[in-house]
Amino acid sequence: MKIDPTPAYHQPTMFGYRISTRTLRREAFGIFALVALTLIIIGPMMTVFLWAFAERWRQPALLPTEWGLSYWYETLARNDITSAMPMSLGLALTVTALSAIICLPAAYAFARINFPGRQGLLLSFLAVNAFPRFGLYVTIAVVFFRLGLVGTLPGVILIQLVNTLLTMIWIPTSAFQNIDRALEEAALDVGAGRLRVFFQITLPQVFPALAAALLLTFVSTFYEAQGALIIGIPGIRTMAVLMYSYINNQIVVQYGAVISLMLWLPSLVLLSFAQKFLRGNTVSSGFGV
Amino acid sequence: MPTLDLINLRKQFGSVTNPVVAVNDLNINVADGEFLCILGPSGCGKSTALRMVAGFEEPSGGDVQIDQQSIINMPPNKRPTAMVFQKYTLWPHMKVYDNIAFGLKLRHLPKNQIDQEVQASLELVGLGRYGDRYPAQLSGGEQQRVAIARALVLKPKILLLDEPFSNLDALLRVRLREELRQIQRNLKITAVFVTHDQEEALSLADRIAVMSKGELQQLDKPATIYARPKTLFVADFIGAMNMLDGEVNGGVVKVGNQRLPSPAECVAAPAKIAIRPEDVIVTQTGEGAWHGRITQVSDLGHYRKVFVQSPDLGMLKLYLPKSIEINDGEMITFKPTRFLIFQGPLPPFEVKL
Repeated sequence: MKIDPTPAYHQPTMFGYRISTRTLRREAFGIFALVALTLIIIGPMMTVFLWAFAERWRQPALLPTEWGLSYWYETLARNDITSAMPMSLGLALTVTALSAIICLPAAYAFARINFPGRQGLLLSFLAVNAFPRFGLYVTIAVVFFRLGLVGTLPGVILIQLVNTLLTMIWIPTSAFQNIDRALEEAALDVGAGRLRVFFQITLPQVFPALAAALLLTFVSTFYEAQGALIIGIPGIRTMAVLMYSYINNQIVVQYGAVISLMLWLPSLVLLSFAQKFLRGNTVSSGFGV
Repeated sequence: MPTLDLINLRKQFGSVTNPVVAVNDLNINVADGEFLCILGPSGCGKSTALRMVAGFEEPSGGDVQIDQQSIINMPPNKRPTAMVFQKYTLWPHMKVYDNIAFGLKLRHLPKNQIDQEVQASLELVGLGRYGDRYPAQLSGGEQQRVAIARALVLKPKILLLDEPFSNLDALLRVRLREELRQIQRNLKITAVFVTHDQEEALSLADRIAVMSKGELQQLDKPATIYARPKTLFVADFIGAMNMLDGEVNGGVVKVGNQRLPSPAECVAAPAKIAIRPEDVIVTQTGEGAWHGRITQVSDLGHYRKVFVQSPDLGMLKLYLPKSIEINDGEMITFKPTRFLIFQGPLPPFEVKL
């Protein structure tokens, strides 16, 4: 018996494949969502980008009417900027490194040892992020002032370390938890010592998640302004702090735009470097999503 | 000559006030080159016992000896044992070659010797050309073969296997089981294999240790375990068994409406009568026989599995030869040819008719 093929003429096609109208509707929605998302994410970034290279840009022109680098020369010529950049980079690196030294062993302990109060302690790291930071910082500033930490580098490092705890403990804890203990036991079984098991078996498995945590920590520390502003003033001025004061004090938009572009630079470099070993789901899986 | 002895081995978890005994006074001796299976339902303590041999669990009491030397104080990485795990435990970031070579490298062997031994062990498990692959590129069965190669390449005194095939499908399980048995015979390696699958244990083992609730029930050859189970648990757990209530009284045991002979040593008391489904014949006369209605007949190739509902005994399972013509719903009369009488904790009495 021959079966009549489904008439094909009223079926829409996409890229040469026949698809149902239902699929088409779903696809159309997907494309619309993508375009909208792109506009929302890229739009503001584009504006900042355009402003940084605009000499003159007045309403209602869609694009700057005069282009140039004069604001870049002006900004880079300033002493506070040239000293803030290495300060910001050094600070972010130091805080990330210290955070790793403190948090990674803690994360391993959270993942592998079932001690009393474990859940509560894990949740407590959320507390820092659960309240308005400004109030927290002001109270800490009072304590730091008495200890002589206000306006010093150690003071800023300490306040920024607090911010990194959540990322640097939660992501690695979840990553360590995902490693099957039997993998470690199998390595012990063939004769590897505990340290070797950690460095040659466990660490390579969690490396992408750890890299994601380090990256997030570095970038967020690099942009961190509130803590650095309240504890660091007047001795310590980071790029992020400078950007705040430029945007607050200057009527000229271009200064802020130039500095924010400069702030993007390290994270762009890092991100492109990290792309090699970061998969899209690493960060989300790190959070146990 | 590697031998393994578990002596009064004990493991208890939980708090002091509320201890959970996982393994209780376990005594097992494994001879050189022997393949011993520890068999029991999940939670009977068989894996815990094996993990104490490997060193992953610390015993609460007793001793583990290899060649009469206690290994209890050795960390797992120093013990002359190698383990194949239930889960796939190949290290995913290493190629098959590096997985197997890992232990050899730790022993600082020269490179070309490592190459040779890795290749030899891969060929032993039939994966000669798989060295360059990553574990994720292998099927479950292939991964467990590599895990076996990884354990064997270190030439351990004792090979430990913790339900290594339970994640595989039935056909593959049977094939790998046979391959493993062949490899073990050829290498004459002493092996302890933990499983909850009685068919696996019966077909693999030189001897089987049946465990229940942390205690050793019986340690015997497979045929003996099947024919002469020492405890009610073993009788019920190994193979199919019809368990009937009976009453011993003066040289006979009354089961249902029939009297069967019983040995003189039996005391006059209630007893459990255990009859294998194949130890039953269909008879014409009612003398010493039960009767019942057939409720289900399944054709299992060379024999038939028959369920019989008997008014005296309840539901019984019988394995009958295909030469007998039977159908659903018919009445049949049948009697046992062989049965066991269990009384209390004593080993059972065997009766042949």
